[in-house]
Amino acid sequence: MGSSLLSVAEQLLKDLQRTYSETNQIPDDLLIALRFVFGQCALQALDLVDQRSVTCVSSPSGRKAFQVLGGSGHLYMCFTSCHYCPCPAFSFSVLRRNESLMCKHLLAACLSQAMGLCQQEQVSDQQMTHILSGQTEAST
Amino acid sequence: MADILGVVFRRFASGTVTSDVIFPPDAEANTLVLGDVNISRSVLFLAAVTAATDLGLKVLFFTQTPFQSLPSNTFFFMHVHLQNVKLVYVKTLEELVEDIASLHELASPPSLIIVDGLDHYLHRSRVRPLQDDLSPVAHVAALLHDTAAFLSQILQNRADGQGLCRVMVSFQSECEGSRDSEALAPELLLCVLDRYLQVSGGGICQSCVLRWYSSGTWCCWQEVLWSSGSFHTKNGITNLPWLVVHKFNTFGLTFRIKNT
Repeated sequence: MGSSLLSVAEQLLKDLQRTYSETNQIPDDLLIALRFVFGQCALQALDLVDQRSVTCVSSPSGRKAFQVLGGSGHLYMCFTSCHYCPCPAFSFSVLRRNESLMCKHLLAACLSQAMGLCQQEQVSDQQMTHILSGQTEAST
Repeated sequence: MADILGVVFRRFASGTVTSDVIFPPDAEANTLVLGDVNISRSVLFLAAVTAATDLGLKVLFFTQTPFQSLPSNTFFFMHVHLQNVKLVYVKTLEELVEDIASLHELASPPSLIIVDGLDHYLHRSRVRPLQDDLSPVAHVAALLHDTAAFLSQILQNRADGQGLCRVMVSFQSECEGSRDSEALAPELLLCVLDRYLQVSGGGICQSCVLRWYSSGTWCCWQEVLWSSGSFHTKNGITNLPWLVVHKFNTFGLTFRIKNT
């Protein structure tokens, strides 16, 4: 996946953040752009955003992480800073085949962050360590 | 050239030990060292003590096996600042990940995180990685990147806007005798490492990949880029001027300018 497409994606998210902060909605042209850049997972990610499935978890140390509740009930810890998700789709489509920029969970985290629609949760530093190391997974 | 390794090479140039080292202003952040496990380990350790002594950095050095002996070059440092180098012996990938994940809890964060032999951790995961499952290596690489970015923010807040947390990782790309039919191809693992160690963040995170090749007792470090599954020379420079001599009878490394 070319670095130019990644730059386009990053700019698109910035445009989305600015537009949503002004109008509280996503215009059709940005929706079309999201679909074009991110493919099928764009709509799936927007569904996750609508369901408020993304939680920004923070601890007293200042460390933050994003947890995304997937449709199957699995909780995925994502890094938006460097684009990582532990789900099988990310491992296969992004890392292995380089066919996609993101999976739906990671895109949902990025969209939620851009639109200010993350749920917030405070945990202890020790709990944050467990989350970052992938030891914590819960279902609804 | 990765900044800390450049300092190491200049300090231990053959026949001299110079204390006059200059920290380059355009310091690169992350370094991936490929090649022989023993040479990489020695160079990483010299980088650790150099960073602690010359640059005043706090260093965390993750490795699987305790050092049975130290490079003789380090005797120069033995009286100075080794308390800033913390050796952390972890056996498994899970333990390594948990230790890195816990770095945000430290009151005094490190400025240099070194992981020696990441390939061996990946082959010794308690949960055997499935074929084609790149999640374990992606997790540890992304965690290193995100942790370094977080610690850099902490260091910058404390140091009047300056301060950077760097990552150095050694990886033996050819694991003769240790691979089995279910192990992932090294090229795939390197692609994933390249993805996360080269991610830019505010223009301060760049990576440097050093690969060594040898002829008899002479080894040469080459600064390369890993792109599209193969190595490419960086900026058209085919060889760095440094040669590493591994003295097989004494555990010491000497660096010498090529063709001198």
